[in-house]
Amino acid sequence: MSWDYVLELITNILVTQTGIPNLLFKQVIMMLVAFFFLYLAVAKRYEPLLLVPIGFGIFLVNFPLAPLMGYSEHGYPELLRAFYKYGVEWEIIPPMIFLGLGAMTDFGPLIANPKTLIVGAGAQLGVFITYIGTLFFGFTLKEAASVAIIGGADGPTTIYLTAKLAPQLLGANALAAYSYMAMVPLIQPPIMRLMTTRVQRRIKMVQLRPVSAREKLLFPLVAAILIILLIPAVAPLMGMFMFGNFMRECGVVKRLSDTAQQSLMNIITILLGLSVGATMKAEVFLSWKPLLIFGFGLLDFIVCTFGGILTVHIMNLFVKEKINPLIGSAGVSAVPMAARVSNSEGLKADPTNFLLMHAMGPNLAGVIGSAAAAGMFIAMFQ
Amino acid sequence: MKTNRLRFLLKIIWVWLICVFLMMAQTACLVWATFGEDQEKPQPEFTRKEKTITAKLLPRAKSTSVLIDFEVSGGELINVQGMDFEKADRPDVDHKDFKSALFVIEIGSLTPGAEVKISVISDFFIRSTQFWIFNQKLETPWMDSNAQNLDRPDRVQELVINVKDGGPFDSDMNENGRIILMGGPKDSFWGYALGTLFIRYFGIFIVLSILMLGMIFSGKIFQRMEDKKTKATSKPASLTVQVEKAEKPEVADNGITAEMATAVAAALHLHFSGLRASHPMSVSPLRPTAWAQQGRAQIIGERLMMYHRNKR
Repeated sequence: MSWDYVLELITNILVTQTGIPNLLFKQVIMMLVAFFFLYLAVAKRYEPLLLVPIGFGIFLVNFPLAPLMGYSEHGYPELLRAFYKYGVEWEIIPPMIFLGLGAMTDFGPLIANPKTLIVGAGAQLGVFITYIGTLFFGFTLKEAASVAIIGGADGPTTIYLTAKLAPQLLGANALAAYSYMAMVPLIQPPIMRLMTTRVQRRIKMVQLRPVSAREKLLFPLVAAILIILLIPAVAPLMGMFMFGNFMRECGVVKRLSDTAQQSLMNIITILLGLSVGATMKAEVFLSWKPLLIFGFGLLDFIVCTFGGILTVHIMNLFVKEKINPLIGSAGVSAVPMAARVSNSEGLKADPTNFLLMHAMGPNLAGVIGSAAAAGMFIAMFQ
Repeated sequence: MKTNRLRFLLKIIWVWLICVFLMMAQTACLVWATFGEDQEKPQPEFTRKEKTITAKLLPRAKSTSVLIDFEVSGGELINVQGMDFEKADRPDVDHKDFKSALFVIEIGSLTPGAEVKISVISDFFIRSTQFWIFNQKLETPWMDSNAQNLDRPDRVQELVINVKDGGPFDSDMNENGRIILMGGPKDSFWGYALGTLFIRYFGIFIVLSILMLGMIFSGKIFQRMEDKKTKATSKPASLTVQVEKAEKPEVADNGITAEMATAVAAALHLHFSGLRASHPMSVSPLRPTAWAQQGRAQIIGERLMMYHRNKR
């Protein structure tokens, strides 16, 4: 055995079996992107439950030669590919997240004040404006729809729609959606102040009526019947959402409800975050599109906030008991962040004006509204 | 003063930078079409059944495949193939308008100079769908075939195109008993995009309005039921009867009447309640005290916990 042979063997091993000589500059950039999102999640506490697994997914998938997002020689998906294939591609994880969200949601404020559903619809304005805007920038119709739904401020809905219509944009869309959801307290207040006068911000709303347990129990059934009959395409999301809520309200399956709210939700969140992060390989992510998606996502949030507040202003022309326009901004779903922002802005205008429970109505309506918008888009492409 | 000016200038610079970025991005996107690879390019597969050739394809902006039938009367349909848009790309046409691909239709067994009718049939077409033809030998290569758009049962539309051997629609432009027609069904992309946008945005209002009406209606029923239940549990008439039936208060042995005992009890209660409260509570609805505000904040905080994202 000569030295040349040994050296060739070492070179072969280094080139084919270690990652260092195969590491590309763009992969290093993607790792820096991953670190940035991990920093936002850990240091700034921006949606840590989602951004930590997503950031780590980006970090892992950009290692050269790592058997994570490909297929084995026998055609079996590798670890993260399996999470993605069976969880996201098969459209299982987003509806399961909706199941957990349903189990966690108290629809009381919405049932007590159903008029706020209209605010939830009005706040979808940005979704449709962005849809047109992205088309001008050369996005296809399906891509435009998947980018537009970011403004609905609902992570699982964004992931569900993007996986269905434009899977190549999944990573960028999910990141934009969750990042902006976390930044709602920064994005919304200036728009809220711009669109309201001090007098309007001080409007005190009538206390919500108490909602009986029986009413809460029937709500998921009635809502599921009406929504799924009108938009069948939204059945996987709304069906699971209402099922989760029914488990919560019926009170006889506490174990199932608790599991849906906690263990199941946590497991799914890990799988979803890693899967989404794993789609962001350097060769896919480093282009104009993600930058544009982030730009349009911001515009989307701004217009959605504007749409919600504008809807309240229009409603105030017709209703006897005036609605505080600050709760309009909660029409972007981002539960409960957007409602909290409405409450804090209300308190700034008048320290005795508590808007939280009033804002929860449009906030929950926003969840239904964004799911309805997603259903509309899915139906459009069927 | 200087700081304010500086801030103002910075804001203007930021706005300009964003505008320049967007303009550059748009130019880059449009030059690069749909970011390089055309993700939605239809790739038709053809099958033949007697005189009909059927194309199965996934059109642009659709998630489900559609079928398009080709038939010919007055000649023999020899072949139909798919065609790349790049070959027919001209500045005055947009490939997005051709949602269901371009086709090359070959017809034979004709007497030279004869005219045939080509039928293109699908439930994917709508009443405004046109059939545009490409002939690179002409000065204006793209033209409307002025196809008749006929209604068929089950929401199927039929586009009928009259083509003359050697005419402008025939790509070889020779009267040779053979027609080669290049073209495809055309719908307005922007018309579709804006139309569907309008319909679907208001669709959300309609859906949520119906849900709202349903909730208001069911809410009224529940409120009425609750009211009835409350009335049933606190009927004043029955109470009167009970009071009437109740035995008359007895006079205590030591000479204190029931009224006096009640007055003494009330006085004692007020005395001890007063001792317990450090500050008398303000009941003014306009300016609640710090004590009341703190209580409210605590209640709101407890409610908020339910919706706390990190607790999920």
